[in-house]
Amino acid sequence: MNRKMGIHAGKVAGIVLALACAALTGCSSLGVKPWEREVLARDDMQLDANPLDTSLDDHIYFSKEGTSGGRGFGGGGCGCN
Amino acid sequence: MFRSGNRSSRTSNSAMPSLFRPALAGIFMAFLACSAAMAAQPELDLAQYHGRVLVVDFWASWCKPCRQSMPWLNELRARYGEQGLVIIGVNVDAERADAERFLRDVPVDFEIIYDGQGTLAQKFGLQAMPSTFVYDRDGKLAHTLYGFREARRAEHESQLQALLARKT
Amino acid sequence: MAGDKRIGGALAAAACGLLGTAGPKVSIAAEPEGKWDVDTAFLFYGESDDRVKDASLTGLAIRDYGDDRKLSLGLTIDTLTGASPSGAIAASRPQTFTSPSGRSTYSTAAGELPLDSSFHDTRVAANAGWSQPFARWYTFNAGLDISTEFDYQHIGVDAGVTRDFNERNTTLSLAVALGKDKVKPVGNVPIPFAQMSDVVFEDDEVDAGNRGADSEDKDVLDVLFGVTQVLGRHTLLRVNYSYSDSSGYLTDPYKILSVVDPVTGEPIERTPPPDVEGPTGIYLFEHRPDSRVRQGLYTELRHDFSGKVLQVGYRYSTDDWEVDSHTLEGRLRFPLGENSYLEPHLRYYTQSAASFYRYSLAEGAPLPEFASADGRLADLDAYTLGIKYGRQTTGGNEWSTRLEFYHQVGKAPAEVLIGNQVGNTLMPDFDAVILQFNYHFKL
Repeated sequence: MNRKMGIHAGKVAGIVLALACAALTGCSSLGVKPWEREVLARDDMQLDANPLDTSLDDHIYFSKEGTSGGRGFGGGGCGCN
Repeated sequence: MFRSGNRSSRTSNSAMPSLFRPALAGIFMAFLACSAAMAAQPELDLAQYHGRVLVVDFWASWCKPCRQSMPWLNELRARYGEQGLVIIGVNVDAERADAERFLRDVPVDFEIIYDGQGTLAQKFGLQAMPSTFVYDRDGKLAHTLYGFREARRAEHESQLQALLARKT
Repeated sequence: MAGDKRIGGALAAAACGLLGTAGPKVSIAAEPEGKWDVDTAFLFYGESDDRVKDASLTGLAIRDYGDDRKLSLGLTIDTLTGASPSGAIAASRPQTFTSPSGRSTYSTAAGELPLDSSFHDTRVAANAGWSQPFARWYTFNAGLDISTEFDYQHIGVDAGVTRDFNERNTTLSLAVALGKDKVKPVGNVPIPFAQMSDVVFEDDEVDAGNRGADSEDKDVLDVLFGVTQVLGRHTLLRVNYSYSDSSGYLTDPYKILSVVDPVTGEPIERTPPPDVEGPTGIYLFEHRPDSRVRQGLYTELRHDFSGKVLQVGYRYSTDDWEVDSHTLEGRLRFPLGENSYLEPHLRYYTQSAASFYRYSLAEGAPLPEFASADGRLADLDAYTLGIKYGRQTTGGNEWSTRLEFYHQVGKAPAEVLIGNQVGNTLMPDFDAVILQFNYHFKL
């Protein structure tokens, strides 16, 4: 069981790392200029626009289902400074 | 020709013997030609500020650090305007109304150029918002400030003082 | 009793509550420096059929100290009442069970799903977080969280770092959280698969045969690695990989399994001794593995089209208990005029049963190594439909309200059913209503 998890872990982690590298290299052309972020800077475009709603939901779903978490973190926004 | 609020390209009266002015004029003419179909293009003739220290600050209403840097720029203008400090704010809001609403909340004493299409931003090669370009009295780019941090105010201010102290 | 929801709730705080939210981004329209940005919410959660009801009050206050250095402080108080399924199955006759304290009994009518009534209990949770930039491209964040209720305590710390690339079009993040929980169940920690005993009198000790230590610990390690990428002026993509390793006491001390006749699938009848109250069946306390390793992949897209914002997210989770799940969720925010918005919400969740999930246990058959009849470990599907309305006041504050309907349907995998149970199961399905009021203001 642990070995299967290990292989699985490798696969999943590999996918994400590949995505990260793609984002850094291949996607270095993807994105917008610093002065083109007026939409991304809006409150409703933030990844954690409603932290209370998110944490209340996570609490409910964790209590009633078998899986939890996985969200969280920064990026996007006005890209200032 | 241009909408009010944009500066027209009057050449300065200074008898600067250089290729700087015509070269700059040429670049801007090319830009204007490319965007003929669009709204009036903002432009910035740096040559006319020779002899003074020029601060060009790119800002937008949606940029939170800009909300903090504007009052600071006002202070600098008040303190050093007499010594020859000129500040120009270039606004890159896609919607001019947003910039005007911002200016009602945070009024400024210096000139604003509207660059809604981002042509000046593109030309200056902005890498962050806000971006501040500081030119010395000879028209050379002396400092580039990426972003705005309260913690660096004192340092930037002393850099400006040094530039103002050097007469051409 | 507070039981399952509490333990689940505390686990939620540990595992997911803080990771990635220790340094929340504050809105552009938000506070000038030196002011507190406060978000408060009152939430009511109610399940169908006299089951769990929960009311909670939450507050989150964020203060900006300039140059993106932020302190966040959060507090939640919630009270829980009602009953939840114990794991025992319905029988064609009434059933009686001994309560967790061992001092009293409760009964269930024929044909009904046994529910053990929760204690009326209050939980308090608090958290604090700090985030700040360093060097030009990095931000660092750290947090602490604790929660306490009468039979469960949790403490956790977390720390993370983010790094921007490509003119802040790409952000990589990494966070680690460590949690330590302590369970102190009423009546002490039951011995795995011990049989539910008769009631003991006030002054007698609890039957030592089915109880062990008075508390057990659990440790959790969570790691979150994420990539956020700006795809265009109107679009943002986020992908997160999460790894979670729990070890220690992972069993629910209040959950039981019914022992049934191997042919009919009916719970075995038992008569308590004369002059003694006790269970009218054979019920065994559940037993789960002492380790659970879980991994997840979450991806979210946020897209603006002329002021409307669409948010779509998908999460895949897999673990060594064989609980695999898929979650698909979408929200669409419509501005209404200048100051308000409407946001419908849809969520679909599906999971596969844990390898040790059992509907019941057959009398005479050898006991499996692990078994649980907790409905949350069965095959299940859940649907959420909700709507949220928000409005900005003239002072720049915002209030909002949301109403959601949740429907959960469980299924016992065919291979765990015994005798006539096939086609004749009663799962702890339920519907729930969520009603929330938020007020967001500056102090």
